[in-house]
Amino acid sequence: MNMERRTIYVLVFVSLLFFILVGYLTCFELFQKDRIVSNPYNRRQYEIEEKTLRGSIYDSRGKVLANSVVTDGVQKREYPYGPMYSHVIGYSSRKYGKSLIEAKFNNYLLGMDDSSAVLSIKDKLTGNAREGNDIYLTIDHELQEKAYNLLGDRKGAIVAMNPKTGEILAMVSKPDFNPDDSELEKNWSNMIDDEDAPFLTRATQGLYTPGSTYKVVIGAAAVENNLSDKIYEDKGTATIDGKKISNSGGKAYGKIDIKTAMAVSSNVVFATIGCELGEDNLKEIAQRVGLGASIPFDIPVSQSAFKYNRMSNADMAAVGIGQGKILVTPLHMALITSAIANDGVMMKPILVSRVERRSGIVLKRQKPSELYRIMSPETASHVKDMMVEVVESGTGKKAAVKGIKVAGKTGTAENELTARQKNKEHAWFIGFAPADDPQIAVAVILEYSGSTGGSAAAPIARDLISAWVK
Amino acid sequence: MFETLSTILKYVFAIIIYIFIYSIIRLIYLDIRSMSAKAVSSSGKHPYLKLLNIREELPFKVEEIYILDGNKTIGRSNDNEFVIKDPFLSGRHAEFLLKDGMIYVKDRGSKNGTFVNNERIGSTEVCINNGDRIQVGSLSFILIKDE
Amino acid sequence: MKGFTKYFKPIYPVILINIIGYFLLYLYRQPYEQATVFSGLAVIALICITYALIIKLMLGDEYLFLIVSMLVSLGIIMLYRINKELAVKQILWLALGIALFFLCYFIYTRFAKWDKLIFFYLGGALGLFVFTMAFAKNIKGAKNWIFIGDFSIQASEIIKVLYILLLASYYTNPEKLQINGLKLMGREICINHKLVFIVISYCHIGFLILQKELGTAFLLFAVFFLFLFVSGSNVWVMAINACIASIGGVLSYLLMNHIRVRVDIWMNPWADISNRGYQVAQSLFAIGAGGFFGTGLGLGRPDLIPEVHSDFIFSAICEEMGVFGGIAVIFLFFIFVYRGVKISLMAKEPFDKNAALGITLMFGLQTFIILGGVTKLIPLTGITLPFISYGGSSLTTGFISLGFLQAISNKY
Repeated sequence: MNMERRTIYVLVFVSLLFFILVGYLTCFELFQKDRIVSNPYNRRQYEIEEKTLRGSIYDSRGKVLANSVVTDGVQKREYPYGPMYSHVIGYSSRKYGKSLIEAKFNNYLLGMDDSSAVLSIKDKLTGNAREGNDIYLTIDHELQEKAYNLLGDRKGAIVAMNPKTGEILAMVSKPDFNPDDSELEKNWSNMIDDEDAPFLTRATQGLYTPGSTYKVVIGAAAVENNLSDKIYEDKGTATIDGKKISNSGGKAYGKIDIKTAMAVSSNVVFATIGCELGEDNLKEIAQRVGLGASIPFDIPVSQSAFKYNRMSNADMAAVGIGQGKILVTPLHMALITSAIANDGVMMKPILVSRVERRSGIVLKRQKPSELYRIMSPETASHVKDMMVEVVESGTGKKAAVKGIKVAGKTGTAENELTARQKNKEHAWFIGFAPADDPQIAVAVILEYSGSTGGSAAAPIARDLISAWVK
Repeated sequence: MFETLSTILKYVFAIIIYIFIYSIIRLIYLDIRSMSAKAVSSSGKHPYLKLLNIREELPFKVEEIYILDGNKTIGRSNDNEFVIKDPFLSGRHAEFLLKDGMIYVKDRGSKNGTFVNNERIGSTEVCINNGDRIQVGSLSFILIKDE
Repeated sequence: MKGFTKYFKPIYPVILINIIGYFLLYLYRQPYEQATVFSGLAVIALICITYALIIKLMLGDEYLFLIVSMLVSLGIIMLYRINKELAVKQILWLALGIALFFLCYFIYTRFAKWDKLIFFYLGGALGLFVFTMAFAKNIKGAKNWIFIGDFSIQASEIIKVLYILLLASYYTNPEKLQINGLKLMGREICINHKLVFIVISYCHIGFLILQKELGTAFLLFAVFFLFLFVSGSNVWVMAINACIASIGGVLSYLLMNHIRVRVDIWMNPWADISNRGYQVAQSLFAIGAGGFFGTGLGLGRPDLIPEVHSDFIFSAICEEMGVFGGIAVIFLFFIFVYRGVKISLMAKEPFDKNAALGITLMFGLQTFIILGGVTKLIPLTGITLPFISYGGSSLTTGFISLGFLQAISNKY
C-alpha cells in the first residue's frame, strides 16, 4: 500500500465524517427537533406563543369550544364548556404543556406551519399582530352535550360517528377534568395519582375486552364461510376443550340459526362457530378489521390487540364470544360498526375537518377517505340484518327507537376484575341507524359497571340515535 | 416588509448556495474525467501533453490530451497539427520536436510567448521532460512521458 | 444549459449571495445605515480583486479561494446580523488575511528550504507555549492569548500552523530528529527519530491541554494520528499511540474537572440545562428552530446562544439559513478537503505533499470537531469554525495556511 493510496483512504475517512454530520443534522431535524424545541428553556417557543393569538377551536356548526383572550396583555386559554371537551381538545398550559388537539395541532394554532409562513406575509405587510389559525372539529356540540349528560358520572366512553364519512360526531370519555389552566394547577397532583386516571382518554386509549359485541365480527366470518344457514343446537352450556361456556343466565335456546343466536347473544353457538372457523379464519378476520394495526387519527389512539400465536380450541371458543386475549378501543368498535353500516368499508376517522386562517383561507381540509374494506357488501348486509334482529327482538330491545330501524349489538364483557369480584363486567353497546341509510354509528362502554350492555348501554345509544336521526 | 423579503429570500439564498456547490462539483467531475482519460492514453507508448485548465467551459474546442507521436506544431491557424482557436495563441505558436527519444519545444515567434515551467523560451529548442509544464496562450499543459 | 454553463462563472453566486445578504442587512438595521452598503461592497471588492489576481497571475488552483470566499461571505453576513462591530472588524481581518495570503504565497514559492527549518518550528512553538504560560491572560477559560498593545493573539492558532510545518519537515527528513551520540552517565545512547517525533507531538498536545485548549489539542492529535497512518507506520506504532491517547483521555477525564464537565454535558445537556448545559441546549434549540430552510435572515433569535459569534456561529447559520444552509457549509468544506487532498496527491516534493495534506486535514478535522460539538454529535470543545467564526487570529492564520496550499497547487 503506497502513500498515495493511504492519502485517499484519509480523504475517504474525512468525507465519511462530513457525511455523518450531514446525516445526523438531517435526522435531528426530522425526528428529534420537535421534542427539543418544545423544551421550556427555549425562549423562542415562549416568545412566539406570547406574540401570537392562539387560534380558536370550533365545533362543526361554528360554536366556540376553545379560544384565547387577552386581558391586560396576558393571554389566557378559555374552554367555555369546561370538562366536556377535555378528552377531545385537551389542554394548553404553559406549565403542564399541551395534550390532544392542542398538542397535535399546536403549529397550526400558533400559525407556525409552512403554509402559514407564506400566507402570513400579508399580516406582516399590514403590521398586524400574529394570529394563529382556527380549527374546526367534526363534533356536533348538541350531540356531544347529550352524550356527555347521558354518560353522567359513570366511567366509560361514548363514540358517535358518521359511518359514511368517518367524521366523529361526539366523543366523550369519563372521568374527565377541567382543562382550565388555574383548575389544572389546583388539581394536577391529585389527578396524576388518581386511580381512576382522569387523564386517560378512554374513547381512544382505553383498551377493553369487546365481549359479545365482537360477535358481529364472528358473524361476518361465519357468513363468509357459509355457516349462516346452519342450525345449531343450544343446550345452554357447552364444554369445549375443558372450558365451560354458558349462556347468560344459563338459558337454553334449542335449535337456532346464527341470526337468532346473534339476537339472543348465544355464547354456546358462537363458541361453537369460533371453533368451526378455526385459527386461520379467526386471525384473518381480526387482522382485517384492524386489530393489531395502528389507526391514523387526529389524536393519539392505542392499538387494539389480538394477542395469539397458537390457538387452542378453548381459545377459539373464547374469541368466538369476544373474550380471551382481545382488546379494543371504543373508537375501534365504533369504526367496525360503521364499516358494517357502510357496506363493509371502514372510513378513516376524522376529528378535525379543517384548519382555517382568520381570513377564511383553508390551510388543511380532511376529506373522507377509505381506511380498509373489511368485508363484502353482501356480508355486511347479512350482518346488518342480524343486528336489526338484535334490537327488534333480542338483547338490544332497549335501543329501539320508534319509527327508526336500529341495528345493534349488546355486550357484557368479562375482564380482569370479574374473576375476583362480582358485578364488574363492562357494559357495551354498538349500533347504527337508520339501518337502511345509516347516518350515525355509536359505540358505548360503561367500564366495570356490572350491568349488562342491553340494560345500561343500549338506552344511551337509543337516546343519541333519536336525537340525531330526526 | 423586511420580514417578507427575508422570508422569500431565504429560499433564493439556499438555491444560490447549492448552484454554487453544483458548479464546483461539476468542475471536479470534469477533473476526474480528464484523469481517467489520462489513464486510457497512458496505455499507449507515446508521450503526450495533458491539458491542465479546467477552469471553466472554454469558448473554443480543446482536447484533454495531445499525443506527441512525431513532430507537432501548435497554433491557431489550420495548418498546425494541433489547432486550437484560443485567441491568446498566435497563428503559428510553437513546435514540439522528437529526437532520439527526447522531446524538445521551441517558440515560433509567438506574440504571447511559450513558457516551460513558468520561464519564457525563445526560438532555441528546449528539452522537456516528464512532468514539465508548458504554457501557451491561456492554456497550460503538462508533459506525460514514460521514462 | 450549454449557454448557461458557458457564461456561468462560479464567482457569480458568491457575489450574488453578498448582494442579497447586505441588501437584507441594510433593511434589517434600523435606522438604515450606509455603513452596511459599504461593508458589503468592501467584501465583494476584496473577493473579486483576489479572485481576479489569482486568475490573471495564474496562481494555481482557484477553487480553493472560491470555496473560501463563499464561506467567508456567509460568516461575515451572519456576523453582521449578530453584531455589527464584530463584522466590521472581521472585514478588516479579512483584508489583512488576504494580504497575508498573497505574502505567504510568494514567500512559499520563492523560499525553498522550508523542510530544513524543523528546529525553528519546534522552537517557535515551544517559545509560544512558554510565553503564554508566563504572560498570557485568561480568556474564556483558555490560557493562551498574547496581548500586544490592544491586540490579542490566540497562540494556539499559530501553533497549529507551526505544527503542520514541523510535521511536514519531519516526514521529509526524519533523520533530523535522530539523536545520536548523546552521552549519559558515560554511555552513548541513540534515540530513534520516531520516538523523538512522537514525544514532541505529545508535548504539543500536553501543553494545549494544560492551557485548556481542548479543541486544538484534539485536533493536533487527530492530524498526528492520521499522519502516522499516511506515512505507513507500523500497525503496532499506531495501536500503541491509540492506547496512549485513550489512557490519556481517561486519565484527564478522571483528573481534570473541566474535561469531565464537557463529557457530562455531552451525555446529557438537559440535566443541568440552566447552567453547564445551557450553551449546547441553546445551540440545539437554534438548530431546531430553523427547520430546513431557516427562519430567514434577521428573523431568528441566534442572540440567545452564548458565544454565537465564534464557536457557535454554525448554530446561528442553521437557525436563520436553515439546515440546508448548514449542510451547504459542510459540503463546501468537503469540496475544500477534496481539492486539498488532490493538491497533495499532485505534488511531487515530499514536503509539499505533506504540508498540503496537513493543512487540508487541519481544516477538515477542525470543521468536524466544532460542528460535531455544537450539534452534540461529539463533546463540545472550544475551537473556531475555519473562515466563518469571528476571530482575527483564526481568520488570518487560516489565510496563511491557504496561501501555502495555493503555492503548492501552482508548483505542479
